[in-house]
Amino acid sequence: MKQSLRFQQKNILTFILVLVFLWSLRVIDWKEPLLHPGGGTTFLQIMEAMIQPDLSPDILLLALDSAWVTITYAVAGMTIAIVIAVVFGVLASGVLQSSQKPFSTLSKSFFRAFLGFLRAIHELVWALLFVAAFGLTPYSAILAIAIPYGGILGRIFADMLSDVEKEPIQALLSTGASKWQLLFYGYFPLVKANMISYTMYRFECAVRSSAVMSFVGLGGLGYQIQLSLDDLNYEEVWTFVLFLMAIVMVIDGWSSQWRSRLTKPSSRFSLLSFFVSFALVIGSWMYLYIREHASFFTLFTDENGQYAKKFFLSLLGIGEETPAFFSAKSWLHILQLSYDTLMMSIIAIGIATIVMLITVVPAARNVANGKLTMNRSPFHRVSFLLIRASYILSRAVPELIWAMMIIFIFQPGILPGAVALALHNFGILGKLCAEVIEDLDERPIRHLSSSGASHAQILLYGVLPSVLPKFLSFILYRWEVIMRTTIVVGFVGAGGLGQQFKLSMSYFHYSDITLIILCYLLLVWLADFLSELSRKAAK
Amino acid sequence: METSQNIIELKDVSVSFDGKIALSSLSLLIKKGERIALIGPSGAGKSTLLNVLSLSNVSGTGTIRIDGQPPSFYRNRKVRAKKIGVIRQQFDLVNALPVVHNVLAGKLADWSLFKSLLSLVIPQEKEIAEYALSRVGLVHKISEQTGSLSGGEQQRVALARLLVQQPEVILADEPVASLDPARAEDVLDILTKLVQEEKQTLITSLHSVDYAKKYFTRVIGLREGGMIFDLPVDQLTDRHLKDLYKLRETRE
Repeated sequence: MKQSLRFQQKNILTFILVLVFLWSLRVIDWKEPLLHPGGGTTFLQIMEAMIQPDLSPDILLLALDSAWVTITYAVAGMTIAIVIAVVFGVLASGVLQSSQKPFSTLSKSFFRAFLGFLRAIHELVWALLFVAAFGLTPYSAILAIAIPYGGILGRIFADMLSDVEKEPIQALLSTGASKWQLLFYGYFPLVKANMISYTMYRFECAVRSSAVMSFVGLGGLGYQIQLSLDDLNYEEVWTFVLFLMAIVMVIDGWSSQWRSRLTKPSSRFSLLSFFVSFALVIGSWMYLYIREHASFFTLFTDENGQYAKKFFLSLLGIGEETPAFFSAKSWLHILQLSYDTLMMSIIAIGIATIVMLITVVPAARNVANGKLTMNRSPFHRVSFLLIRASYILSRAVPELIWAMMIIFIFQPGILPGAVALALHNFGILGKLCAEVIEDLDERPIRHLSSSGASHAQILLYGVLPSVLPKFLSFILYRWEVIMRTTIVVGFVGAGGLGQQFKLSMSYFHYSDITLIILCYLLLVWLADFLSELSRKAAK
Repeated sequence: METSQNIIELKDVSVSFDGKIALSSLSLLIKKGERIALIGPSGAGKSTLLNVLSLSNVSGTGTIRIDGQPPSFYRNRKVRAKKIGVIRQQFDLVNALPVVHNVLAGKLADWSLFKSLLSLVIPQEKEIAEYALSRVGLVHKISEQTGSLSGGEQQRVALARLLVQQPEVILADEPVASLDPARAEDVLDILTKLVQEEKQTLITSLHSVDYAKKYFTRVIGLREGGMIFDLPVDQLTDRHLKDLYKLRETRE
């Protein structure tokens, strides 16, 4: 009995997850119309504009300028993030601490928790908070990138440092090296390639974040997209979106070239890349200093200090009669919104999963060329290209920008937020899962095929059992990310905690903000915990 | 009498992990300049003995004296590094660093943090590394990435590091286990030659009895944590070896 329960664990888990998804759909009011009266027309207009973006010189020049600003903020943010990540990553890995047991474990968990806190809050939330505290200075954007990215990078650095091969470290210890010497002669050289590779990947994400976050009014591609959307000028919107996609692709290409050469010693490309990144860092900070007159130290003027102090005090509810976090009514309201937000994330991952499952098989290269199914047709080739193109578009456009467009089409509520999140995530899920299929061992499948199994049977007996566990783990992982992002799509009016956050921000109800962030952190923590739990159950 | 002084004295040393005995009340005297091979079947306690001697195993009982001093005397890493050096299988090097830094790592005990950081940019005391590498025949590979070297070459880099470190005792744990016979002989040949030139004491664990006979002065046979024999190499007979490696049919 126990044996069979263990055997069924995966199926039970899948069943539960499907039920949860169906349950979440109840939150949406299906009786009301879901679309705006003119939603369909708007949708067509947006799609039409995609094919004919505005390519007038003015707009192109503006796009180029905004793109440079976006890159500058991303580079400057990453510079600070790397400093945070190296310092706290080393501390969280415990390689410098003395080996005294209780102290070293305690300090390790302390710094790990600190890094966890840094990455728990989405960069856009930081951006809004910093704009409220420091005003519209580039540093609001830079710090908003630096903090969560420092947290993510630091966490990964810490893991890399504690996972290094032990033999070289022991050998260095026996030569009498100190802890600091071990760090520079052992740990850092051992993880250098992985560190650069992961930092490059994160830089790519930072450019996207930087573009998006400028919608709060900071200058950059996101801001331009917001302005053009306000003018209902969809042709311009697509120009800026295409620019964003182009930058991200260039960086992606560069970083994958660099990464593939990292393991090879003394590659000229690596050296060149190193100098290019160095020049980017110097150039970005110079630009900030000269063009935007934004010296880092102007942040710390008296006036700014007073303003920031007032902001943080009001976050704590000081000077308010009943701060929101002491009022039962506010709690009830925010908890209701938290529940809605949770449901939004579940609907989003549900939709993304369904679309992914429908499209993923023809999207795998080994299915398209007939290697896996022993069946080749031009139809496969075409559907492969179409689906892959839709994946690229899906993940190249950030959630927030999808949401900005979607709210023109759908009635306000949970659904537009969920759809926007799903739109961005099905491409990511599709790519990851298609790669799982591409990595399948082909021999058992060929065997099934040669023993006369039909396509459906091959899928059922050969493909699904071996890929489903990996799919599940990707789906859960993306759900964690979606949970962090739900608040963001709310900013543009797509419901949930984010919408309330933006409202409270505009009414200067800062103690509401504290309560919302508290609930948001709880949700993020809950999502991480549940997903970890399910992943363990699926093993 | 300098040469006949005992550099290592072990008395009744026992070590056990999770209730399993790894070394049982072992006593041993080692004179300066001896070249000792530890042989015996897998799990005999060879690595444990080397760990005890390198003072990285503190869980045992018994007395240990290295050059007349108790282990606590060597708690300072710099003092320890001058007395004891360790070489293991070829995974001891940091592959991502150029050869020169791996060799100069033997100097880390003497260098300040600042000097060791500077050296990663401009190699300090490079002539020491060059001289050490020339003695193992690898001076032409000084600026190459360590990871791109062959297994035998990497092991010679590790030897060059020991030359820079200049400990009085060298503990080698299966130093040639992952090398083919030609490379293994090459490494052992260099190792034993250098040890003689530097008047160091060498204690090596080995799988091969032939190498033990060829390169060492004294052979110690270990089995299940106990010493089966401890003989000058010329007194070792096939009978001893048969005893050491025979499969025991029943245990207790």
